Amino acid sequence: MARVQVSEAEKVYILHGIRDDLRVDGRGCEDYRHMEIETDVVSNTDGSAKVTLGHTAVLVGVKAEIGKPRPTVPTEGYLEFFVDCSANATPEFEGRGGEELGTELSNTLYKVFNNKRSIDLKSLCICAGEHCWVLYVDVLLLQCDGNLYDAISVAIKAALFNTKIPKVHISSDDEGGKEIELSDDPYDCMRLNVENVPCIVTLCKVGHRHVVDATLQEKACSVASLIISVTHKGTITCMRKVGGGSLDPESIFEMTEAGKRVGKALHAPLMKLLEQEESLGKKRQKVYTCFPGLPLVSPQPPREESGAK
Amino acid sequence: MTNSPCPHPDNKPFSGQPEKEKTWGGKRFRAGPVAWVIYFNMPTDTKRVRGPEVSQSPSLFSCDPAAVLPSKGPRADGRRRDQVDVRPVFVRCGLVSQAKGSAYLEAGNTKLMCCVYGPRETDRKDETDMKCGRLTTDMRFAPFSCPERGSWIQGSQDKDFSLMLHESLQPAICLHKYPRSQIEVSVMVLENSGSVLAHAVTCASLALADAGIEMYDLVLGCSMRQDGTSYVVDPSYMEENGCSSVSCENQGGLTVAFLPSLNQISGLQSDGDMTEETLTAGVRTCIEGCYKLYPVIQRALTKAVRKAAPSQSES
Repeated sequence: MARVQVSEAEKVYILHGIRDDLRVDGRGCEDYRHMEIETDVVSNTDGSAKVTLGHTAVLVGVKAEIGKPRPTVPTEGYLEFFVDCSANATPEFEGRGGEELGTELSNTLYKVFNNKRSIDLKSLCICAGEHCWVLYVDVLLLQCDGNLYDAISVAIKAALFNTKIPKVHISSDDEGGKEIELSDDPYDCMRLNVENVPCIVTLCKVGHRHVVDATLQEKACSVASLIISVTHKGTITCMRKVGGGSLDPESIFEMTEAGKRVGKALHAPLMKLLEQEESLGKKRQKVYTCFPGLPLVSPQPPREESGAK
Repeated sequence: MTNSPCPHPDNKPFSGQPEKEKTWGGKRFRAGPVAWVIYFNMPTDTKRVRGPEVSQSPSLFSCDPAAVLPSKGPRADGRRRDQVDVRPVFVRCGLVSQAKGSAYLEAGNTKLMCCVYGPRETDRKDETDMKCGRLTTDMRFAPFSCPERGSWIQGSQDKDFSLMLHESLQPAICLHKYPRSQIEVSVMVLENSGSVLAHAVTCASLALADAGIEMYDLVLGCSMRQDGTSYVVDPSYMEENGCSSVSCENQGGLTVAFLPSLNQISGLQSDGDMTEETLTAGVRTCIEGCYKLYPVIQRALTKAVRKAAPSQSES
């Protein structure tokens, strides 16, 4: 993980600020930074999204391919996650440096989606036991400024919302052989229901309090954080402690409650935003290249609503 | 090694290890180290085994084990549902004489062993911390440990387990007492019968204690599985992977690593789909399960220390 050096005096300053519910950048303890979401950014994918959260930038591309369903679940398709920590995010990721973080992130994503509700996997089935859609969700980290999990989960939700899977037609010939025909019409496509796709909320324990959407400086002051993936109904699909410290059971319960509250409040504005952007269609300005720092135009409120304090 | 005329007098296709070569039913094969190579007027590409590219365990095609598990009544091994009913645990320290510390743990059919090496000089000089020691964890599953054969190569799931183990153990070890050195923990799962991660944490902390590494507390692991309204503590492999098809609400697994005397949670991992209340209750249940394990582990440790004491005084 990208790290910053924070001096003792800075740490004390951050700690005391958080104790009084005032963070270095003026936010409250349960506020997110400015978030920008743009969908349909890479033309070669079936669905893509770019999310910037503060200075953290994440690009997600979804590619649909026809594969063979897993023998244990012949009537379902599946998702594959891959997180690439590119060297332009931080020089530490050069060579194989980002591999460890990449596997950690992708393994967590598998856990987050390891339930029957998040995505209707049955809708990805083409022909039971023989063919199904495999969605390759590739995450590219463009810039790291803390809170990767939250940015990635929002980007994945946006990219899956944007995913258009071409409709298939199965015809069988006289000998019982099956033929799969893909629809040529780009508008004749299947969309995924992303209502139940969870969002991850990372809570950093700093001092005796916890903060949402920690920057790298704040992260350096915390010993442990808890990541919680919350659905729009408020159920939790994955919870995990990350970091080298330990947590009191009571503070874990407190953080779970706060995470649920924040995560639940994240979904409604996010869905509204995605639908709004979708309705604008081709009128909006599109960015096909994906360099961090490029001005992005997307219709959105200045800040994500993040529930009551 | 082609079918071209061979200079060997008795026209054997191999020049090396001719004594191992046998003729059997008209087919000449070599009991060599490479692979099965069958010679029977075959084209030049002889090294390839013409089987299907991927093979699957026959158990997948026989009766489906993960079909339906009863969500009521006693469990398959006679334990009670909705109770903190952990499997009896067998633990021993000092198994591997080469290692600084080691432990073996058996809970039901889940069997695993852990070795601790170090503290010693770090391999990676670039990551040497002057103030703090480094902990490395490695968790592996033996290929025969699960119903389906695994691979010897560490997969991404094993890496995930290693990471969880690392995060669960690190808060308990006084790493600042071991500057510029590295402590290696390796766990080998011999038989997977559920709750592997939880038992791996317990076993590893015992091995660390056996190695004499300074720790704040022992780390104990416990896991549970929620299935609708009922739950099972310390689930078996079947209970972990099978699901009752009744409902898909409130299902999931939870693993907690707990430091009993400090009352701290050092590791937490859940998946599935659960409400917050269920999860909170689950964490409490797991903590209770950890307390049940505590005296057993303490006893194993004191036994190991007693055993080691006289030999030390002699020398």
